[in-house]
Amino acid sequence: MSTVIGLINYGIAGNIHSIKKAIEKAGGSVKIINEASELESVTKIVIPGVGSFKDAMQELQNSGLLEALKIAAATKPTLGICLGMQLLSSLGFEYGKTKGLGLINAEVKPMLVDAKIPHMGFNTIEIIKQNALLRGLEKEEFYFMHSYEVVNFHDILSTTEYAGHLFVSAIQKENIYGVQFHPEKSRMAGINLFKNFINL
Amino acid sequence: MKTRIIAKLDVKPPYVVKPVHFEGLRTMGLPAELAKKYYEQGADEVMYIDIVASLYQREILFSEIESTANELFIPFGVGGGVKTIEDFSKLFHAGADKVIINTHALQENPDIINQAAQIFGNQAVVVNIEAKKWDNWYECYTDCGRIQSGKNVLKWAKEIEQRGAGEILLQCVDTDGRQRGFDLELAKAVVECVDIPVVVASGAGKLEDIKELIEYAAPSGVAIASLLHYNKYTISDIKEYLRNNEIEVSK
Repeated sequence: MSTVIGLINYGIAGNIHSIKKAIEKAGGSVKIINEASELESVTKIVIPGVGSFKDAMQELQNSGLLEALKIAAATKPTLGICLGMQLLSSLGFEYGKTKGLGLINAEVKPMLVDAKIPHMGFNTIEIIKQNALLRGLEKEEFYFMHSYEVVNFHDILSTTEYAGHLFVSAIQKENIYGVQFHPEKSRMAGINLFKNFINL
Repeated sequence: MKTRIIAKLDVKPPYVVKPVHFEGLRTMGLPAELAKKYYEQGADEVMYIDIVASLYQREILFSEIESTANELFIPFGVGGGVKTIEDFSKLFHAGADKVIINTHALQENPDIINQAAQIFGNQAVVVNIEAKKWDNWYECYTDCGRIQSGKNVLKWAKEIEQRGAGEILLQCVDTDGRQRGFDLELAKAVVECVDIPVVVASGAGKLEDIKELIEYAAPSGVAIASLLHYNKYTISDIKEYLRNNEIEVSK
């Protein structure tokens, strides 16, 4: 069975266009997932993320994707991007307290730093644990745009420093991966990350 | 944090134009071609602003935006004529990562900033400020420096931050397109009065101008137009120069 990456399309906020383009550039094929039944036919899953934690969870619920996504992500390699990574967590604190997908035991909290927020621009990653997703990407620059961070101490793949504050920039728990940055906006380093994901 | 070097395209469809002092226009090329060129030179972002959509009360041209977005694997900000939440949504679907708003938020409905920030996340909402200098204050303008608002730039900057904007694009009516340096005092004042990132445009005429701006005002990004469009320098020339002057920029 050849690899088909299911790209979760939820709500009015998602910019799935640029992720689709980047995965295709990396040599992958993409199927846009609009409803639960379409998840069965894909081998991998990408959860994009634009918007706020609360609205995104609400949209997943409204579109009927929420439960199906939890089930599919239990077995299929899954990559959450930016807010998509944050949604993997158990709890989010953006516009109140909202339950996440609960696939990784973590919370999403505001970044508290003595610097401009959102953290916006290219920044480097420090790989803490060698892994297939970030293979060959040590010290590469990726584009970040976020005001919240995932707080987790167990599943860290990489960290990034912003104004002296260290935060988790990539996580993994078994088949589930998350990156805080936007690989689809990170030049060739991001395309190479998608190649690694395709080859998982 | 590495200072972002951003290529700014002022578009009067179908062409990228270079407004001189926000008035006369010169044709520079097609947006998709220039965006690709600057991406390949190492730009950290591209901003695309339809400079006549608002003035002519015309619809946003989504197909132009989509074809420009297709060439980019870096963030793409788009503005000009944005009036509704639906406009934001359509722009994101056309490939924008950030939407830039000015006229409608300033003149008619500032609440659109709050609504857009809640729906799309504040990182995706950029407010463009066009500042004009008076004796001892700066006034917000719209429509490429044509229309006055009476609003104070620093007060408006604070207000849009509180409303949830994630970034400010700061342009200056007096220095735009003249290539004679930035208004350093304006840049410093705006950067210091808010906690959100500020991208400063209007004024780069030589490499020293960019260095001076970063050292004096510490903006999060610098938006460059004329220097690039007239092929005076490439993005990689600019970055190399800054790196040699101990200013951190991305690769």
